Amino acid sequence: MICSTCGGDHLSEPGRGTTTPGGRAECPYNGGAYMGLRAGHDLLYFGRWRRMDATTIDVRKAHHQMKRLLGEISIALETEDMPAARLDLEKALEALYTAESGEGGPDALRYLDHALSYAHRVIGDLLHEKGLPPHSPADFVGWYDAGEVPFREDW
Amino acid sequence: MIPLDRYPKEITLRDDTHAVLRPMIPEDADGVWSFLRQLPEIDKSHFHEDVDRRETVERWAKSLDYDAALPILAIRGDRVVGSATLYRNRTGWKQRVGIVRILVAADFRHQGLGTALIREIRHLGEKVALNYLLAEVIEEQEAAVRALERMGFEKAFVYRNFVNDRKGRLHNLVVLLHPMSGLEEDTFY
Repeated sequence: MICSTCGGDHLSEPGRGTTTPGGRAECPYNGGAYMGLRAGHDLLYFGRWRRMDATTIDVRKAHHQMKRLLGEISIALETEDMPAARLDLEKALEALYTAESGEGGPDALRYLDHALSYAHRVIGDLLHEKGLPPHSPADFVGWYDAGEVPFREDW
Repeated sequence: MIPLDRYPKEITLRDDTHAVLRPMIPEDADGVWSFLRQLPEIDKSHFHEDVDRRETVERWAKSLDYDAALPILAIRGDRVVGSATLYRNRTGWKQRVGIVRILVAADFRHQGLGTALIREIRHLGEKVALNYLLAEVIEEQEAAVRALERMGFEKAFVYRNFVNDRKGRLHNLVVLLHPMSGLEEDTFY
């Protein structure tokens, strides 16, 4: 089930998510800036494609999700004067293209991972422009079927 | 001229507290001096002058020239808690290379302030059409190196036992470069 608030499917798996006092499913991204982008990022960050037992279907799905995320980022950037973020978006698209085209060979997953890192940086730039701290997937780990989240130190 | 209309800019840190970013003004001399005095010795190693001397900072404050050195301060209340300075040459072969120096108060680290300051400098570097940002960091400043790398800086070189701190001990110097968006479109003339 797709979350009607953020567009992610973090609520679709049994046991995930919580409810409001009224019994409605609650979206963890609700109320935050760029919630669709942050949810889209985490969908990939915690996605099955990064697991050891990922199937080709998982990877193909991740490509589609990445394309959608980068498209949404592109729309968000349209009205912003942020050249560094635009450059990162270009790099993300390039990495996605390399991953999709097979040019990356066995490193295709690594290129997809690069695309996600660039996307994360752009989302961080967008949040920074609004005076907000960068997005941290670790804050949302409980909403996904994920194991340990790699520690990311902030400076 | 560097466009500064984005300042003052309020940012939220990881702990939900706030800081204000804005360019240094002459009246900041006291605050900057206090900030620098509280920094760990290793963070002060790169300065060419003794920043523990109040006169040094007062002289800087009186001679601010944003086109040569633009210090962006992070301020909480009345206290300076971080700074990011973009140094530029007006002419010469490095006029499209910006030198970056970022400092964060010890008790404000790991809150995302350093990363926010890197984002600011990256933005300003783009606005003045630099080709590269260059950061020099002592290798022991690991959190700073990692933060710069996460923001798109790439390690260009590590000079072994290259720089000395104020007690004469040698340290490895890491040089990091950040290519800017206009680089590929550039033409030589």
